[in-house]
Amino acid sequence: MKGKPQNCLEIEVDLVAAATGDAEPGAVHRVERHIDFCAPCRGEFHRYREIDGAVGALRRSPAAAESVARAREGLESRLADLRSRLVSYRIFPSPLGHILIARSEHGVALVEYLGERSELAASRLSRATGVEPQEDGADIEALFRELLEYLQGDRTRLPWALDLRLARSDFHRAVLHATAAVPYGAVTSYAGIAAEIGKPAATRAVAQALRWNPLPIVVPCHRIIGTSGALTGYSGNKIGLKRELLAVEGIRAVGTPRDSHVARQTLYHYERNEQREYCLPTCGDIARRPIGRVTLLASRALADSLGLVPCTSCRPDLHPLAV
Amino acid sequence: MMGAQPFETIVGAHHAEIYRYIRRVTSRATEAEDLSQETFLRAYRAYRTLGPEANVRAWLFAIATNLTRNHFRSEKRRRVAYQAASIERREADPDGPESEARFGEAKVLLESTVGRLPLKQRQAFIMRKIHDLDYEAIGQSLDCSAESARAHVFQALRKIRLSLDGQALAPTTTEQPR
Repeated sequence: MKGKPQNCLEIEVDLVAAATGDAEPGAVHRVERHIDFCAPCRGEFHRYREIDGAVGALRRSPAAAESVARAREGLESRLADLRSRLVSYRIFPSPLGHILIARSEHGVALVEYLGERSELAASRLSRATGVEPQEDGADIEALFRELLEYLQGDRTRLPWALDLRLARSDFHRAVLHATAAVPYGAVTSYAGIAAEIGKPAATRAVAQALRWNPLPIVVPCHRIIGTSGALTGYSGNKIGLKRELLAVEGIRAVGTPRDSHVARQTLYHYERNEQREYCLPTCGDIARRPIGRVTLLASRALADSLGLVPCTSCRPDLHPLAV
Repeated sequence: MMGAQPFETIVGAHHAEIYRYIRRVTSRATEAEDLSQETFLRAYRAYRTLGPEANVRAWLFAIATNLTRNHFRSEKRRRVAYQAASIERREADPDGPESEARFGEAKVLLESTVGRLPLKQRQAFIMRKIHDLDYEAIGQSLDCSAESARAHVFQALRKIRLSLDGQALAPTTTEQPR
């Protein structure tokens, strides 16, 4: 290529592009004019066209379909594995300190109070096995917004699909399922949940399981209290928070922050019976029966929505509790 | 919240092409298998954050291009390490360019020439000439401007032209791919 005239050097880029079908119309025109009178460049032009044709032949001889299929098969299984491991999360500042929310493709897997700390290392997600945490955005933010609405009392339900993968055992999962079924504005006890899952002697184990509830607020372990009405343990030492969460739902507690009881005399009582009747706390000795056997209800509207009817002797319909 | 179509659709639509792209760049089936899978695993992790307007195909090519580049980089490091330990190893790849060149057939020669191009030129050339990506997309894959991408393809064609000097090519000049 030595000793090429200057104008041939200048047009080389356009010439290659034009010959290989990759030039602007203006460039094509310039090249055509040039090769009309420049034989060496005309030769080059045809040579590049030949090359382009040979390259075209290359694209028509792709890799064997069976190796593509094998790679695809391997991909499907690696993808399935990744999907089952991948959990996306985000950490939000909130009035309750930092809150981490994590979800998998199956549903929300973790709501965690991180307090002062705001990094993944502070979360149990970073220590969970078989989980690949991935920081993520928008859809988790929507969950957080709903959670805030809930905490402000603007929403009574968090109708989220749940993923209980962080539960530690089948027993743990059963406790979480039973707890999730306790409606907004109702309260039962650890013993009540133990009876519900057919393990009436497992009261302490139920309490322990709820201590490790991966989905506080969503799986409403704050609605589970002692049989005497005491607000025992919540997420370590957050009894005050438990009290607030219950207050949002219309369930008042009395006493010191360390020794709180729900105010039974302000709540309707329901003990399972064939007529599905619910009572005033003054009906017989119902207010002395253990919570768990008795479910406490914040309002008549709740009782109605559960399909309960007013007791025909104490008549909560005629003598509703003062709100 | 998420790319417009389910990820399975993306895999179905693009896996074969991405596999072929990597296979051409690396010229080895095992690497193409692994790197194409790796491409889609990465894409899956990031897919939720991809805007609905995004050009998914160009995006996948960019991931594949980067993975391949990293792969060659660490491969090179490994080779250097081997040499330092004076464990001289011969490439025993039967599809390797050296053995192919002896056949002298134009297509084989062309393939081996492409295989010897510097990586960026090779990737640019294959994206443009085999997969018809536009220079904007190629530039994004290679972390350079569309103009630089065009220059890479030009340099690649020039090298191919030089290495095929005097070599008879099949009379395919009338059969333009575009």
